[in-house]
Order: sequence, then structure tokens, then C-alpha cells
Amino acid sequence: MLAALVGVCVLLLTAYFGEGAGGIFHTLGRGAQVVLSPIEEGASRALKPVRDIVGWVGDTFTAKGENGQLRAEVAQLRQQIAGTAINARDAAQLRLMFKMEKDSEYPAGTDPVTARVISQSPTVWYSTIQIDKGSSDGVDTDQPVVTAGGLAGKVVSTTGGSATVALITDASSAVSAEVMPKGVRGVVKPQVGNPNDLLVDYLQKDQKIEQNDTVITSGSTSARFESLFPRGIPIGEVTRIEPDEEQLYQRVHIRPYADLHKLDLVQVLTAKPQVVPETETAPAVPEVP
Amino acid sequence: MHLSWASAGRVGAIVLVSFLLQVSGLGQLRLLGGSFDLIPLAVAAVAYYSGSLPGAVTGFSAGLLLGAGLGQALGAAALVLAALGYAVGRYREIRDPAHGLAPIAVAAASTFAYLLVTATVSFMLGFEGAVSPLLIRETFLTVLLNSLLAMPVFWIVAKTLRGVLDDDPFVRRRRRARPIEAGPIGLRGLDV
Repeated sequence: MLAALVGVCVLLLTAYFGEGAGGIFHTLGRGAQVVLSPIEEGASRALKPVRDIVGWVGDTFTAKGENGQLRAEVAQLRQQIAGTAINARDAAQLRLMFKMEKDSEYPAGTDPVTARVISQSPTVWYSTIQIDKGSSDGVDTDQPVVTAGGLAGKVVSTTGGSATVALITDASSAVSAEVMPKGVRGVVKPQVGNPNDLLVDYLQKDQKIEQNDTVITSGSTSARFESLFPRGIPIGEVTRIEPDEEQLYQRVHIRPYADLHKLDLVQVLTAKPQVVPETETAPAVPEVP
Repeated sequence: MHLSWASAGRVGAIVLVSFLLQVSGLGQLRLLGGSFDLIPLAVAAVAYYSGSLPGAVTGFSAGLLLGAGLGQALGAAALVLAALGYAVGRYREIRDPAHGLAPIAVAAASTFAYLLVTATVSFMLGFEGAVSPLLIRETFLTVLLNSLLAMPVFWIVAKTLRGVLDDDPFVRRRRRARPIEAGPIGLRGLDV
């Protein structure tokens, strides 16, 4: 009997990996999700108070430590805002001088659809979540998914009323990214077992990257290899730079902005940002608190 | 376990409820930096009380539900959980542990084996990414948390399966004595 079950499993695996996304076993999986997603949604709502209570207890312990850290971060960000405002004004004036169009950037024109997380994969080898919005709400495969903090992942499959999202911590994930402010390009990849530590690989070695540098999605201007993610979605900040003399590229570790363990609500970006022609007026410098 | 619609229904309910609790509730809770994994625990509990064959079938069903319900590769989790159910059931049939705290040891060993074999299967299926050393810490925390959860889960499973099992799981049993292998030839092999 065990041998028969093992044989069935091996056959299923062979067929699953051998067929395309429209194959019979993928379709069966989507059918199961159609049936299960309303039940999962009900269970998720019913269990939310329990999750909140346990989360509240955990958060209380960590809040005091985070308070001091956040105060220091706010002070640092105030300085950055001043610098960014000046840069934005300069950039707008330069674009006017050279008659350039403004880059399509997140979040303008992305048409976000807000969805509730109804289930989460229990194994670290598959970091996926299910959300309660599907193709009937305009959600489609390969659309980016963001949270309040930053990039969360992308849609990998949809049914009428639900969708599966592969998080950026999923083993299959790879996101083209830029380390700001230098704009060094690389690829963000996960490390299985530690969702708070992502790797940015293939960064040019001669470019100096510093701790706390921000990593954003780089988007793509190539029509042939168009990126799934629009430019400018924040991903995380640099925590560690791996010193390795032998490698051709440098690699850094980043902490993602999105808290991927506590996902209750996410937004699916159902449209790409449009290219906006620059207007004659330069943006006003925001008031620095 | 008697093979009947009632037993299949009860096992199915255990599998479905543990799946829903895991993916919609427990999976999102972080305690001490780790998280619970109810599914191997539920499969181990069913196998512990009902034997190797029902254990393997329960593991297979739970794995199939996990794969289909979460859009993962069909068959991978089913393979691991079917083997786990069979192994726990065989352990019960061969060793017949009677200690009241045996479920804790069974839960710890099952969770550890499940996580280890899942990692092995993931690598065999072509996983090529980076693996953090913190995965080891996460594994041990999950084993610890599942051990804490073992007694209530095994109690609920025993209570649910009570009417369809051959032995009443709540009747305190004595471990079966080993058949005598030595002594006068006429008594060898007799359970005296």
C-alpha cells in the first residue's frame, strides 16, 4: 500500500513538472483553490482575533526596543527628505532643459486592488499566500503585490475569486533591483529559512554600497525584456556587505521593509505606471519638519 | 481502525480542520521566532492511534490537500506525509508505547523528520537558491513548539477517533510483555 502511494506521488510530481500552467494537474489545483478559498476566508476571519491577541503580546515585548531605534531613524530621514527635495527640484529643472519625459514610477497610475490574505503556506520552501481577490477583480498573473512597507511578491495564479501570490522570500523569486542613491543594479533573491534577510546579487564590484542604502525595484526600459515590477517600489535596506575578493560581483544583504510574517492586507498593482510628460512647473520643495 | 464511512469522515475532518487552522491561523503566528506546523502533528496523531496503513493514507490525503490548496507542486508534500504516517503507525504497531507522555516524543520526532525530509525533497526537485543557517534554528523552534502542542492535539485526535478505533485510546494499557525466548522448549514463544 505504501509503495502504491509513493508511486502515485512520484507520478503526480512527474506529471506536474512535465506539464505547462494549463495542464490537467495545474487546473485541478486551481479547482481545489476555488473550492477551498471561501472556507479559508471564513477560517481566516474567524481566527483573526486569536492571531491579533498573540500578535499583540509579541508586539508589546518588541515595541519598547523598537521605539528608540525608530526615533533615531526619523531624525535621519528628516535630513534625507531635505536632500531629496533639493534633488527632485534639480531633476525637474534638468528634465525641462533637456525636454525629457518623466520616468514611469510607482505608485502613480498603478491602480491598486486591496486584498485580504486568507491563507499562508506553512513551509519555508514555498513562501506563498492566498488572497481573496482574483481574476474577476482584475487581478492577473505576474502582477506585483505590495504592502504598506514595500514589495511583497507577485501573483502566480488566479481563480475567479482568489489568487496565489509568491512572496519575495519564495525560493523561486528573483527581482531586478537598484541600490540607491548610486543606482547600482542587481537581483534580489531570498535565503530560505530567514525571511528577514534577502540577498542582492550581481552588483558591480567597483560601485561603493553602504549600510542603510535603500533598495528599490529597478523596473526596465527594454521593450523586449520588460520587468514585471514598475520602477521605484521600495524593497528593503542594506544591512551587510559581503566582502569577497574572488567574486566578479559584490553581494549585499538587505532587510525587507515589508513584514512578510504579518500580512493581513496587501495591494495588487493591476496597472503599470504611465509615462508622464513633464509640465512646465517644477515641484514645490516639501516642508521639512 | 475499522474501515468505514464514519472512520473516513472523522479522519477527513481532522485533516481539513488541521489544514485550515494551519494555513489561516497558526502559520501566521510567530512565537519565540518560530512557528507551529500542525499538519505533520495531526498526521502523526492519526497514525499513532490507528496504525500504519490509515496513517499513510491520512498523510497522503493531507499532503494532496496541502499541494492543491496552496498551489504547490502536487505530490511532494503527499510523499513526505504518507511516509511519515506509515512510519509513526509502524512504530506504534511494533513498539506499542504505553507511557502517557509518548505523544510528546512522537510529535518531536515526527516534526523533525518531516522538516528534514521536506528539505531533502525540495533539493531533489531542483531547488538552487541560498539557504540561511537560521533554517536550523527555525527547525528546532518548530520542533519545540510542536512538542508543546502535542498533548492537546493527540487528545483531540484520540477523542475524535474513539468510536472507530479497535482499542479505546483512553483506557490505560500496559505494554505487551515480550514472548519468552528462553526456558524450557515447551514454553518458548508462548505469551506467559
